[in-house]
Amino acid sequence: MSAESQGLLGWIDARFPLSKMWKKHLSEYYTPKNFNFWYFFGSLALLVLIIQILSGIFLTMHYKPDAELAFASVEHIMRDVNWGWLIRYMHSTGASFFFIVVYLHMFRGLMYGSFKNPRELIWIFGMLIYVALMAEAFMGYLLPWGNMSYWGAQVIINLFNTIPFVGEAISEWIRGDFVISDATLNRFFSLHVIAVPLVLLGLVVGHILALHEVGSNNPDGVEIKKIKGTDGTPVDGIPFHPYYTVKDIFGAVVFLAIFSVVVFFVPEMYGYFLEHANFDPANPFNTPDHIAPIWYFTPFYTVLRAIPNPFGGFLAMGLAIVVLFFLPWIDRNPVKSIRYRSFLFKVNLIIFAITFIILGYLGLNPVTPLYQLLALRFSELYFLFFFVLWAYNKPRSMMFWIGSFIIILSGFTLYDVYQSGALCFYNMYVECPDNIDLVWITWLIPVVYLTITLLLPFFNRLASEKKVPARVTL
Amino acid sequence: MKPYQNTLLAIMLVICAGRVLGAVGVSDYSKGAFGKVNIDLSNKTSLQRGAKYFVNYCLSCHPAQHSRYKRVADDLGISEDLMKENMIFTGQKFGDLMTVAIRPEDAKNWFLGIDPPDLSTHVRAIGPQAVYEYLKTFYIDNSRPFGVNNLHLPNTAMPHVLADLQGLQKPVFHEKKDKSGKEHKVFAKFEMLQSGVLSETEYEQVVTDIVNFLAYLSEPAQLVRKKIGIGVLLFLVVLGVISYFMKKNYWKDVH
Repeated sequence: MSAESQGLLGWIDARFPLSKMWKKHLSEYYTPKNFNFWYFFGSLALLVLIIQILSGIFLTMHYKPDAELAFASVEHIMRDVNWGWLIRYMHSTGASFFFIVVYLHMFRGLMYGSFKNPRELIWIFGMLIYVALMAEAFMGYLLPWGNMSYWGAQVIINLFNTIPFVGEAISEWIRGDFVISDATLNRFFSLHVIAVPLVLLGLVVGHILALHEVGSNNPDGVEIKKIKGTDGTPVDGIPFHPYYTVKDIFGAVVFLAIFSVVVFFVPEMYGYFLEHANFDPANPFNTPDHIAPIWYFTPFYTVLRAIPNPFGGFLAMGLAIVVLFFLPWIDRNPVKSIRYRSFLFKVNLIIFAITFIILGYLGLNPVTPLYQLLALRFSELYFLFFFVLWAYNKPRSMMFWIGSFIIILSGFTLYDVYQSGALCFYNMYVECPDNIDLVWITWLIPVVYLTITLLLPFFNRLASEKKVPARVTL
Repeated sequence: MKPYQNTLLAIMLVICAGRVLGAVGVSDYSKGAFGKVNIDLSNKTSLQRGAKYFVNYCLSCHPAQHSRYKRVADDLGISEDLMKENMIFTGQKFGDLMTVAIRPEDAKNWFLGIDPPDLSTHVRAIGPQAVYEYLKTFYIDNSRPFGVNNLHLPNTAMPHVLADLQGLQKPVFHEKKDKSGKEHKVFAKFEMLQSGVLSETEYEQVVTDIVNFLAYLSEPAQLVRKKIGIGVLLFLVVLGVISYFMKKNYWKDVH
């Protein structure tokens, strides 16, 4: 493209930075050439956002935000509106896929240290998007006015009741009524359709602007801007357009194929994407047998349930999300990519991923004595991950590892003893609680975890980072 | 109990928690005792028969208020005249929703406080298998207001509307001891006390047709959804191949 555009484009460029923006963000945005599978999920998240907005516009044309009419209007969409069922399934499946894509996108960030200096703000923007997305999904879930919509919202809003002194007032303020009612439905509709999407779009723009300011990270975690060719562009960089546009088109087609399998063949996804109880209309007098939040909330829901004290659980759940915001200041190891991080870093990250999945699984199921203890143990692992991540910032002394091992171990052991009344010895002085054996067996879970992550660093080979190459590898 | 036995027990609990928990609370007949319903939405005649039984036996009390007569007629290949003559008894219009005249307040009075659930969506919530077992397991119980009880849904509020077809049956239980030595009444089989108009296999077919129709009614889009899905997937496969080679071609010079 010549420096001075001609014709219509020239006319526009004199008045609006169209060519300039095209170059800055696409045709001359230099992107590392070594992106792998994990780098599809950013553009896919944008694709899902567009699917949600477009399908949402058409749903809004037929939906009625009224407690008397909402459920029937959704069925009207499913039956009487031409292609209504397809639009509805795209929207409901899109919600779940949004979280799948976003979780993978975030995990990519963890693997390759994409949140580290100078990309802290990109991560903060991303976390704000994630929180907005949770709000968006939660409020959208009430709109079909099914029985699970109703009771799920009931459970979540009641969480605010646990806040001392002002809790009840806050949840009343959220509902706009003493119970979930037409007023709640109406305001959730407004927030879901206009307020949160506006915020989301703004945050997405911020996320991308911040990314394009510093440039993309890559699977090797090296800065491509450091080595530039004679033309002043990074030697390991390629223009986003056309290279990554054509690559992302391929990724989008594969994604749409998987998406279509769900939309057309298993839209309920066996009750995980559309819960069965939600095909009965909201009924304040009939509680579903088992109320579980939709799957993408369940890891945090399990953290909430792990703590017996309601407000304590509420705080723990909040902390589980808030701690993610601070990731750039927790993991400050100069080596970004998992490829050159220590063996133990990899182990820690894999355990974290498994922990997150187990927490999610536990949250989908009713509480049993065993699951209750597992919830506690894996919640402990969830938080310990961040401590270990911080501990791996730099080489530490043997004293540090042993000291932190002992302090943490005795910390949660004391909590167990206090919480479960486990301070008994073969029923000799005080009666042992029924689940005493389970308490101590599951106690081994964090013990094993701490032994691996805090004592194995004795072996330098396991704890030392590898040398990072100067340029990206292909 | 010695301490190590406690621990052993706990380990066993951890290992077989799933199974142990699964075993508790099983209703008093074994799963699959009444067979699995065979849902076949491509069987138009079964759907048509199911629709006929549905409007005759169910639609007086249970609405299907999200569905329209016309939609059912179109989907099942029933002509407008035939539908009006044989399926619409209430003087409603062809394009009307399949509502009932019964008022919810009255229904609640008549049926032990239960408003008969809407069958255009409720079946999707509980699944067709539940309806299938429900319709097959009514039995005589003179302690109940309508003289019948139900194995699938104990103390059901609904009378056995298909009794003249199925007849009336009585359950036979046998005693079974569990591991702790407690005696349980376990359902063994049904005994027909008073036979109905239909034989057992004929009744089985009627129930299957009804459940088949209800499965359709809970989501009419099922009739076309998968067919369209295959087309969409074929299109995406072609697009995928093209976009793959396009990517490869563009990336030739990247080293």
